[in-house]
Amino acid sequence: MEVGLTERLDSFVRKHNDRQLAAVPIAIFVISLLILAFVFATSGAPVKLGMEFKGGTMVSVATEESVSFIEQKYTDYPITDVRQAGSRVIIQFGPMNDELQQELVTDVIDSYESVEISQIGPVYGESLQKQAVKAVIISFIGMAIVVFLIFKTFVPSLAVVVSALSDIVIAAAFMNIVGIELSLGTVAALLMLIGYSVDSDILLTTRVLKRRGSPQENITNAMHTGVTMTTTTLAALVVMYLVSTYAYLLSSSLSQITLLSNISIVLIFGLVADMMNTWMLNTSILRWHVTSVGTRRRKA
Amino acid sequence: MRDDEKQSIFKDIRVIVFILAILGSIIFIHPGYSSEEGFTTNLNYGLDLEGGSWLQLKLQGAVAQLDAESGLLVKEIVNINLAQDVEIASVDETDDDIAVTFTSEQILTNNQMDQLGLGQTTISRSNNVTTVILHSSKETLISTYIGDSLKAEVLPTLISDGVEYEIRTAITEEELEELMAKVGGSIVTDLNGNAIYKEGVTTETRDMTKDILSDKLNSLGLKDIPVKTVGDDYILIDFAGIDLATAKNIAEKPGKFEIRIITQGNESEHVLYGDEIESVSIVGYQEDGGQWYVPFTLTDEGALALQRVAIETGATQDPMSHNLVMYLDENEVYSAPLSYSAAERLATTPIYSWQASTGPDDDSKAQAEELQIHLRAGALPVNVELMGSGHVDATLGQQFKTQAVIAGLLALLAVAFVIFSKYHKPAILIPMVGTSISEVIMILGFAAAIGWQLDLASIAGIIAAIGTGIDHLVIITDEVLYEGKLPPRKVYLSRITKAFGIIFAASATTIIAMSPLVVMGFGALKGFAITTIVGVLIGILIARPVYGKVIHEVLAAEAAEE
Repeated sequence: MEVGLTERLDSFVRKHNDRQLAAVPIAIFVISLLILAFVFATSGAPVKLGMEFKGGTMVSVATEESVSFIEQKYTDYPITDVRQAGSRVIIQFGPMNDELQQELVTDVIDSYESVEISQIGPVYGESLQKQAVKAVIISFIGMAIVVFLIFKTFVPSLAVVVSALSDIVIAAAFMNIVGIELSLGTVAALLMLIGYSVDSDILLTTRVLKRRGSPQENITNAMHTGVTMTTTTLAALVVMYLVSTYAYLLSSSLSQITLLSNISIVLIFGLVADMMNTWMLNTSILRWHVTSVGTRRRKA
Repeated sequence: MRDDEKQSIFKDIRVIVFILAILGSIIFIHPGYSSEEGFTTNLNYGLDLEGGSWLQLKLQGAVAQLDAESGLLVKEIVNINLAQDVEIASVDETDDDIAVTFTSEQILTNNQMDQLGLGQTTISRSNNVTTVILHSSKETLISTYIGDSLKAEVLPTLISDGVEYEIRTAITEEELEELMAKVGGSIVTDLNGNAIYKEGVTTETRDMTKDILSDKLNSLGLKDIPVKTVGDDYILIDFAGIDLATAKNIAEKPGKFEIRIITQGNESEHVLYGDEIESVSIVGYQEDGGQWYVPFTLTDEGALALQRVAIETGATQDPMSHNLVMYLDENEVYSAPLSYSAAERLATTPIYSWQASTGPDDDSKAQAEELQIHLRAGALPVNVELMGSGHVDATLGQQFKTQAVIAGLLALLAVAFVIFSKYHKPAILIPMVGTSISEVIMILGFAAAIGWQLDLASIAGIIAAIGTGIDHLVIITDEVLYEGKLPPRKVYLSRITKAFGIIFAASATTIIAMSPLVVMGFGALKGFAITTIVGVLIGILIARPVYGKVIHEVLAAEAAEE
């Protein structure tokens, strides 16, 4: 299956010139930026913030009770959302004072089975938010520095960094579209994406810059390896996503694992974006770079 | 594989290191099976897989250097406590003593002045005017002023460049500045003109809060519950196997503290409970008596109750046979007679400030420190704010654990399927999957060796590390198999070097990308970052070099057979 994909991708790359090749990823990158800007303008953050960054309480319990029944039952608390996921119900509350919190916790633990609760104070949430933003920025800059140190040439390094940036922006825009909130898990996924996405870019750049032979040949070779890499990772992530998200459909003794589900879905979309960015955006910049300096190189 | 080739492989240093690492990991993981417990290992699991709850508390307070006018301080302190407006007649400040003389038209008693706890006072009254001469110190005045205004404890500490005040309740810089402005003072600024103010508490206070919590948990028989400090202001408690409601109760509810006076033999009479203890200060050493002691003060009611019971039981007449005994949760924590001077004074007036002496030696010091905690009856020295908490039922944790293992195994199968459909060779598939599994074993071995708690985030980290691991094995394989078959040895060596160049570069970016999380270390993500980094390091340093070797041998053997 992935052999077919590689060949189609390869012939697509061969048939189009650098400008055409870069057009699609750049268009998607710009659209993603617009989505983030729109969300930022309307909500004050580029991605919708989850409970961990806003403060509040999440309660997940195994129950047969209906969503509307539970909404009615906890109407005295600052309830913000009730969702059903298989045999479980997930209830979200806004921030509340300590006594109310204690009352809620006691009530939930006494009346339900297999309970999961997590609570974050609004002040702590805000400091987590700042730290998370800092982590993503530092992480990205660190990655960029390492890439420049590895290749020591400006344009190829920049191409790698730009396609990694595009991966993250597209993944974040995707989160907005399907309504995934920014949580500790999704921040972890975005950071992981910074590390993951450059793997195939580094492979491509090394093969094209350091191997003899025509750039196009090297690109094709790198693509065979790179697409295999990304598909193996995607296969693992899709399985992880399915098991952590839909396993409860098979057996009621299984349940959603939100953290793993969030990490895997964001990584899946990040890596799909990465396939496009590596083999279209990064490849086109690199191909343009080697052909334009190619004459000098060959003389030397 | 044939025997002679196996031998040549086993002589390779990389292979030897690899085998030792695997064996070591298995020993650390120590897998076992018993009919009662089923499958057992040495691995520690986090709360989200084991069941239990956690609390993260922030210690509220502020540390600042302060200055103010002594006269205004005295005026305000008297005003807050006695609702009297006094006139300041004179202030005489010398190095270690401040004498403030003030007058009032109303009557002021020695008792009232004692209650303020500022220092030595001399009171005289003539022509309907009370004149009070008070000897005190700046630190005492400032601490008392802020303490009385905010109804909180304030501790002055002598440091190299002045006096630092620790205010044990939440107060912003602006609020503190406003409070000081009322007494003609301000927050002291440093050489650059920045106010010396820090939100939070001192390290000593943080450690004391931690000790009180640990002590409390120990007294409830919960010895395995770790109380960890995170930075200077945060305390994190993991309650394995305890639900959140109970955990919050334990952390927030003080114990039952009681003072009784012995009447006869083993019988005693109730004096007061912990809520009559107004404040407890830090342990001190009395130079003249050569005794370690804990100072504490009583409320009005407490002081009166102690006086009444002391007179009733006869402790004021014969202190030696009527010990004062302190109990915490029904356990005796202190027992000593009243001092003769205190007994004598108590016969006529209530005493607000007390000192519980423990003795002269180091043991006594430790005893005094313990008593200080007991006097607080498990109440924390600072206000705490609940920053975050969590709870996972044990059954749910078990379910998560099973499901995470299933997800891991299925992910591995999916990867194996993709690999096989690309290379169509079991000779490549088996070493590749084998390397991956060996990396998991080594990560788990490492976790078991350092006692690392595996939580859901760490498991995600392991899966992520395996994901990059497989990517790197694909790079090695493709580099070696370039042009579809195994190249001659020399070419092979240069290619494998190139492959490792790519792998090291890719690993470096992953490690760099994850390192901010390790340093900042917030919440569950620290575990994720550390496992990912450890996984990547184990992969590139131990497992993947061996894969490079093995894949060469396997392909060479295959070529020879053809």
